[in-house]
Amino acid sequence: MRAAAALALFSFLAQVPAARTVTLALPHALRAGESATLLVSVGVIPKGARIEVTTPSGHPLGTISPHGIRPGSEAGTYTVPLPSDAIDGRHVCVLLSLAFGDTRRAPSEKEVKGVRVRIS
Amino acid sequence: MSRKNDGVTRRRFIQATAVAAGAAAFPFGSTFAQTASKAKYTRYNVMSANGQKALASYAKGVEAMLKLPPSDPRNWFRNAFIHLLDCPHGNWWFYVWHRGFLGYFEETIRELSGDNSFAIPYWDWTTLPQIPDGMFDGSLNPRSGHFEPYTANLAVFQSFIEPTMQMVFKNLTKAQVAQLNVRGYTSFDLMWNDVTGNGNAGNIGYATTCAARYLTRDNPKLDARTAYDCSPPIVFSGLKPKDYYNADITQSFTSSKTPSHNTQPSGTTEFSILEGLPHNNVHNCIGGVGPLDPGPYGNMTNFLSPFDPIFFLHHANMDRLWDVWTRKQKRRGLPILPPQPDLGTLSKEPFLFYVKSNGDYVGPTVAGEFFSTDRFNYDYEPGSGEGGGVATATLKKALTAVSLKAEVKGHAAALSIPRAAVNEHLASDEPTLIAAVTVARPSPTSNTRAFDVIVGAPANVTAVTPDSPYYGGTIAFFGPTMDHMAMSHDATFAVPLPKRPEAFHNLAATNVSTSIRIVPAHGHGKAPALRAVSVRAVQ
Repeated sequence: MRAAAALALFSFLAQVPAARTVTLALPHALRAGESATLLVSVGVIPKGARIEVTTPSGHPLGTISPHGIRPGSEAGTYTVPLPSDAIDGRHVCVLLSLAFGDTRRAPSEKEVKGVRVRIS
Repeated sequence: MSRKNDGVTRRRFIQATAVAAGAAAFPFGSTFAQTASKAKYTRYNVMSANGQKALASYAKGVEAMLKLPPSDPRNWFRNAFIHLLDCPHGNWWFYVWHRGFLGYFEETIRELSGDNSFAIPYWDWTTLPQIPDGMFDGSLNPRSGHFEPYTANLAVFQSFIEPTMQMVFKNLTKAQVAQLNVRGYTSFDLMWNDVTGNGNAGNIGYATTCAARYLTRDNPKLDARTAYDCSPPIVFSGLKPKDYYNADITQSFTSSKTPSHNTQPSGTTEFSILEGLPHNNVHNCIGGVGPLDPGPYGNMTNFLSPFDPIFFLHHANMDRLWDVWTRKQKRRGLPILPPQPDLGTLSKEPFLFYVKSNGDYVGPTVAGEFFSTDRFNYDYEPGSGEGGGVATATLKKALTAVSLKAEVKGHAAALSIPRAAVNEHLASDEPTLIAAVTVARPSPTSNTRAFDVIVGAPANVTAVTPDSPYYGGTIAFFGPTMDHMAMSHDATFAVPLPKRPEAFHNLAATNVSTSIRIVPAHGHGKAPALRAVSVRAVQ
């Protein structure tokens, strides 16, 4: 029984994706002198948890590590610069992963409430 | 004392136009740039000779503050409670408030150390992504015996300071109480919950001596992701905004506009790049966020972060970046503060908790008193970020064209670079000579993933630290190389060459020689095969 429960738990954990894939469309391809920024809205996450933002190949784009947030409060919106080589024409694809201790998983819709991209 | 960049940092700039209406009522006089003047004190890079001298005085001052009774507001721990009670995060007072906090603290260290030229040294984590070595010595290390009598365990700490803090709380002014109510500290117990954690291990502000700081002398480096968030591309992006505050956070140098500096971050808070990425990550990494999840963490992770003396070097660097941004705005004739009516709102915010160097309370002050470094009469030795965030092509003359390949033999590459290009590189604010270093990926069984780039060193130099003139940076592979993954066997890294003349040879010759070698960063393991090296001059 215990073994079956452990197997079920293992099967569940094995199915938990390590990251959420987000693909965003830019209003237009970057022009000379322009840059793009991600806006990541973070909800309530455990104290110490981070949201790691990477390219699909794993290159880091930025790590959101909330500081000075009251337990139970939403963590706010964070700006993450996008290097131009992370953008494919009018599209950008990023992976979001919630890291806490040794575990990494895709953040829930409540933990990362939205991701937008801005050109400036 | 280095004044190499005086041409830029001291550039006299008179903005004859558009003095914002009403702004002259504030100490800074104008939302636009004013004529610069020489400061009395200079905050040096902690790794410089002057920075090391300041660090020695800092250690004396910290020791003196530790020994003060808790009834003295300058006591080391009492001083940190100013931060817990009053610090803003995630709003447009973040830089202003911390400038005041550091400024008064600096005066206290000056007073108690006996060094009347003392100024807080800054830790430039962009060029040195590890805790400066001196911060592990004596009173600068919160894990040392200097802290043990006060922080050995929670009972010791509480018996030492809680009665005093109870008295402080009882004697608050009405205005202070009103601000603490905004902060959520409507009672002493609610405030004290952020010291003990109140059952939430991750929220414990206090840390025992032995766990006060996660990073150690044997493990001083910021983790790779934090180091990335401190790297030039991120810092330059953070310096790029043209507005002190903009409702579009991507255009804003500062974080959200909030009703009060005590408004706590929430779902509506928007963090600017520099506060949200390098600032937060450095705090949390030093406190052990990640390896110590779910807590308790070291001091730097929570609001009693000024218990750790590294706090002030970290925040001096944040303040320096504000100064870099301000001077960038001045050079471009752009505003350094928001226009009215925002300027009035920003300026009139009361700061009520600061303490003077003689132990008296400062009394009511307003944010507008701390817009300028003139308030504490200091400037900065130039560091990273200078020249960042500007349209450099319009400000700099064209560089000497360089695009050359090195001759690679074994683990070394030999380079011959035109003298003019090397001189431009050494004289510029930012490195202009960038090497593309191609190395073979470590084998799947190798545990070595980080390698130091040694530039121009004699053959007998086989290891470097970031303060070495030959240190070109550390290149690292993330995660294991999987046999089954279709990964290229080679990887190329962009490595700025050091801006140190020692890294180049025959500087008077038409072509200047140097070399590049790759060695394991931690002294063990094998260096990867060096495939190719090329150098370009870039702005």
